[in-house]
Amino acid sequence: MLSSAQIAQLELQLNKLFDQCQVVTAAVVATIDGHFCAQKQRANTYSLERLATMGSTLMSLGDTITAELKMGGCDNVISENREGIVVFMHVGRDLVLVTLTTQKNALGMLLSHTRRCVEELTKTL
Amino acid sequence: MSNEIKLVFTGSAGAGKTSAIAAISEIPVINTDVRATDLTTLQHKSKTTVAMDYGELTLDDGQKLRLYGTPGQQRFDYMWRILIKGALGLIILVDNSGTDPIGDLARYLDNFRGFINETSAVIGVTRMDISAEPNLQCYYDYLGERSIQLPVFPVDARSRESIVMLIQALIAMLEYGN
Ligand SMILES: Nc1nc2c(ncn2[C@@H]2O[C@H](COP(=O)(O)OP(=O)(O)OP(=O)(O)O)[C@@H](O)[C@H]2O)c(=O)[nH]1
Ligand SMILES: [Mg+2]
Repeated sequence: MLSSAQIAQLELQLNKLFDQCQVVTAAVVATIDGHFCAQKQRANTYSLERLATMGSTLMSLGDTITAELKMGGCDNVISENREGIVVFMHVGRDLVLVTLTTQKNALGMLLSHTRRCVEELTKTL
Repeated sequence: MSNEIKLVFTGSAGAGKTSAIAAISEIPVINTDVRATDLTTLQHKSKTTVAMDYGELTLDDGQKLRLYGTPGQQRFDYMWRILIKGALGLIILVDNSGTDPIGDLARYLDNFRGFINETSAVIGVTRMDISAEPNLQCYYDYLGERSIQLPVFPVDARSRESIVMLIQALIAMLEYGN
C-alpha cells in the first residue's frame, strides 16, 4: 500500500488537475487491485470508493482486451455517456486514475488534462 | 437441457476459482488477475482477480459449459451480480485454511441466496491438505442449522479430476432437479 507521503502527493496532483481543468467533476485514484487511495470532487456528489474499485476492474478488462487483440498495453478506457464522460488511465504499474465530467462535449479537455496528471504522478511517485 | 450451460465459480479470496477454471478449460482462459497490493488478505499468492475468469469445457456427452469465475474479495461484489446473470448453476469454493471458512461460506450463501433458491449450487472445500479442520461434518452441521441442502466435496482446485467431479455433481442436480 501507499505511504502517507505518497497519498499526499496524489492529493496535491489532484488539486492541480482541478485548478487547471475546469470541466473535471471528480477524480479518484485506486491501486490496480481496487483499493481506494485518494479522491477529489467539486461537489460531494459521488461515492468514489466504489468507483475506485470499479476503475481497477475496467482497467483490467481493457488490458485483457488489448492483449487478446495484440495491441500492446492499454493506455486508457473511455466511457461516453448520455450525461457525461468517464476516463480510466493507468498510472505506472500499480495505480489507476479515474476522472469524469458531466459535460458531454469535453472529451478532449478531460483526456488531455488527465494524461498530464498521469505524467505528473508517474514523475513524482 | 440446453446445449450450452453457464456455470459460475465464486467463493472466498484465494480459494482457487481462477485455478479451477484454468485446470479444466479447453480454451486459453481469460484472466484478469493483477498484482495484489494487500498481502495480508492473500498470504499464499501474489495475484488476485479484479474482473472475471472465463473458460470453456465440453463434457463427454457433448454438453458445452461456459465457466465464469468471480473476484473473491467483497469490494468487487458488483461483479458477482453481473456474472451471475443467465447462469444455471453455482460452485462455491471455500479455502479451508482461511481464518473463518464457515463464515466465508455463510457470506457466499447469503450473497447468492436468491440464485441458490431458484437453481442449484455445490460447495467445494479446497486446501484441506493444508488445514484438515473444519472437517466436512462441520460444514454439514452448519448447513443443517440453516436448513440448506447442498452437497459439500473436498476438492483440490489445481486438479482437473477434482473440479470435473464437482461440476458433474452440479450438472446432475440441474438435470434431476435437486
Ligand atoms: N495446497 C493446496 N493448494 C491449493 C488447493 N487448491 C488451490 N490451491 C492453490 O491456492 C491458490 C488459489 O489461488 P487462485 O486460484 O488465484 O484463487 P482465487 O479463488 O481465484 O482467488 P481471488 O481471485 O483472489 O479471489 C493457488 O495458488 C492454488 O495453487 C489445494 O487443494 N491445496
Ligand atoms: Mg481468482
